[in-house]
Amino acid sequence: MTSTSQREAIKGAKVLMVGAGGIGCELLKTLALSGFQDIHIIDMDTIEVSNLNRQFLFRQSHVGQSKAKVAREAVLKFRPSINITASHANVKDPQFNVEFFKQFNVVLNGLDNLDARRHVNRLCLAAEVPLVESGTTGFLGQVTVHIKGRTECYECQTKPTPKTYPVCTITSTPSKFVHCIVWAKDLLFAKLFGDKNQGNDLNVRSSSNGSEGNNSSDASKDVFEQSPHESPDQYARKIYDHVFGHNIEAALSNEETWKNRRRPRPIYVRDVLPEGERNEGVKYEDGVGSIPSAMGLLGLKNPQEIWSLSENTRVFLEVVRLFLEKRDKEVGNLTFDKDDQLAVEFVTASANIRASSFGIPLHSLFEAKGIAGNIVHAVATTNAIISGLIVIEAIKVLLRDSNNYRMTYCLEHPNRKMLLMPVEPFEANPSCYVCSETPLLLEVNTATTKLRDVIDKIVKSKLGMNLPLVMQGLSLIYEEGDDLDADMVATYAINLDKVLNEFPTPVTNGTTLSVEDFQQELTCNINIKHRDEFDEEKEPDGMVLTGWSGPTTKSEKSSSSSNGDSSSAAGAKRKLEEVSEGNGKNKGIAQEVEVNDEDDDVSVLDGFPETNKKKRVQ
Amino acid sequence: MSGGIARGRLAEERKAWRKNHPHGFVARPEALPDGSVNLMVWNCNIPGKQGVKWEGGFYPLTLHFSENYPSKPPKCKFPPGFFHPNVYPSGTVCLSILNEDSGWRPAITVKQILVGIQDLLDTPNPADPAQTDGYQLYMQDREEYKKRVRQQSKMYPSLL
Repeated sequence: MTSTSQREAIKGAKVLMVGAGGIGCELLKTLALSGFQDIHIIDMDTIEVSNLNRQFLFRQSHVGQSKAKVAREAVLKFRPSINITASHANVKDPQFNVEFFKQFNVVLNGLDNLDARRHVNRLCLAAEVPLVESGTTGFLGQVTVHIKGRTECYECQTKPTPKTYPVCTITSTPSKFVHCIVWAKDLLFAKLFGDKNQGNDLNVRSSSNGSEGNNSSDASKDVFEQSPHESPDQYARKIYDHVFGHNIEAALSNEETWKNRRRPRPIYVRDVLPEGERNEGVKYEDGVGSIPSAMGLLGLKNPQEIWSLSENTRVFLEVVRLFLEKRDKEVGNLTFDKDDQLAVEFVTASANIRASSFGIPLHSLFEAKGIAGNIVHAVATTNAIISGLIVIEAIKVLLRDSNNYRMTYCLEHPNRKMLLMPVEPFEANPSCYVCSETPLLLEVNTATTKLRDVIDKIVKSKLGMNLPLVMQGLSLIYEEGDDLDADMVATYAINLDKVLNEFPTPVTNGTTLSVEDFQQELTCNINIKHRDEFDEEKEPDGMVLTGWSGPTTKSEKSSSSSNGDSSSAAGAKRKLEEVSEGNGKNKGIAQEVEVNDEDDDVSVLDGFPETNKKKRVQ
Repeated sequence: MSGGIARGRLAEERKAWRKNHPHGFVARPEALPDGSVNLMVWNCNIPGKQGVKWEGGFYPLTLHFSENYPSKPPKCKFPPGFFHPNVYPSGTVCLSILNEDSGWRPAITVKQILVGIQDLLDTPNPADPAQTDGYQLYMQDREEYKKRVRQQSKMYPSLL
């Protein structure tokens, strides 16, 4: 199997593994069994019951303990003579600095979030240590190799972030169940139980071309307020009739919208529940202390069962009542949380009622929760395959076999009878703000924007810095960190609230700001361009950063793979070269998985539309 | 952009110092009343070493960097009239590692400069006198020299 040179490289290698979860468990096992002898693991998490189905180094008795430490102990049981160091810590901690990274021959990522991945990428670039990066989402996964000066870095290309939908699709013309979920979660739930002051598009109609008759009357403006003489049940029915009945009818009156679309059906409580049935028949005892659950009270036991329209209606009315009666203190500042049973019941019922209106198939609470919480169920086999690929790439990296580095994508459906698609690594993006030194351009109104906005919306959210230092020429205008003296902290606090052009040296059109991170060894130059006006809808930050390749919303991607877990196929977009025939190891793997080829069918195009399109072009 | 190299290096020095610095030392860029922090001037304090006559003093030193840093060393100044054989009347420190033509190397860090000056306090270099007062007393009247050093240490009490 392995050559002498491979064995020696493996034996002498010191590797850092970041993450000891789904991929990490498989990876640590594979590393140990492949002959690696010196492994450092970092993971900040503790073991949870829900990990046990796939993170096989962990057992029930380990729940609550450090993943890194338990994984180490588990592997030492079958490989007692190797050296494993476990750190139960955040990889972003200052102890894991550039010097720390420099001691390793290769860094292997098995992370679950973009933030930590970017951090590790920057440290690997600064320390000039090769990085093998990975991710899985359900059946999808990928392994990529990042070596400074040789291949692109992790941040050279845009990464998919959760998809957003056009407002009119959500408010007026849903065609998929996920649209109904987004409507229920982001609009209706937020409107009824969230911050009242937040802008909400719930009453935006399809009639954006403005037929006057559809404009909301005074009555509908206040419809979401509970009037003092209204019981919670009356309120719930009023809301129901308004959003599922009246609003649909109002939308229907705009014929243009429905010319080429199926017309939705308005639904009123009276149409669904028998006349005279009062929901107040459901009794619950006060002070039981259990979590209020409408489905529990209504005797709906199975979360995997699809409720009928009338069941969804009963759940809806009951949930609204429970929120108002049992959780009245939270109403007004709730945000959707997938672990909040009542919230999930609300979103499920509301989405299903809306789906009924629009002729979209209904879904169970379990499914709705998955969609609403962006949950993609992890597949242990994918993690195992990806971990094997990580080790294969790691060995090539150790041997400096750079002509054979591959990015490998694990597909859900076979493509040309292959489930694994190896691709040659891309060259670094010359305008990448992380691994190149090209300045970024920030368009901003320098007469109204405060430094705080730039720090929060750009430096932290977009550039992903944690503890930034902001410099204007040779002057520091902002620093952050626990080590700073109180008077420095006070100075910077004042600066945060200064408007850009009010700095001693005004930050204005043509100014260049240099931004560094205290820990990440990343420096960016940002050229400032003044602009007076911003489009509130398209540019909600009130500023626009360009020349920046961080996360942006992908346009054409199924919702299931848009979870932050994986960047599958992001790479396939730009350039796709098939690996030439006769490529030893990769071909071997691809052939092995061909056994799964039997169910190869027309759905082959579903998984990776861009990939397939691109391939045909070439 | 001019000063780009100096700025990058000073930012590095600033971060390195924030992450780790020798006990008792202070070094920070000068905060101006207008709220900006000037990376070109660092206000520092050097503690006198324990067990020597400089002990107990907490000597203020200012580092002035130029746009040519780190090709050229920073100018290091104690308060004018500082008593030490190798300090000019203006307060400027005369030390080989701070001399562009002899010991300065761009790799020398702020930390090394400050520790080097701390060493110099108790081990003056008679080959490079910079002031008459300090040099003559050091060479001719060691008791008086020590007395003056102890007096000066009381002028700069530790702030900690």
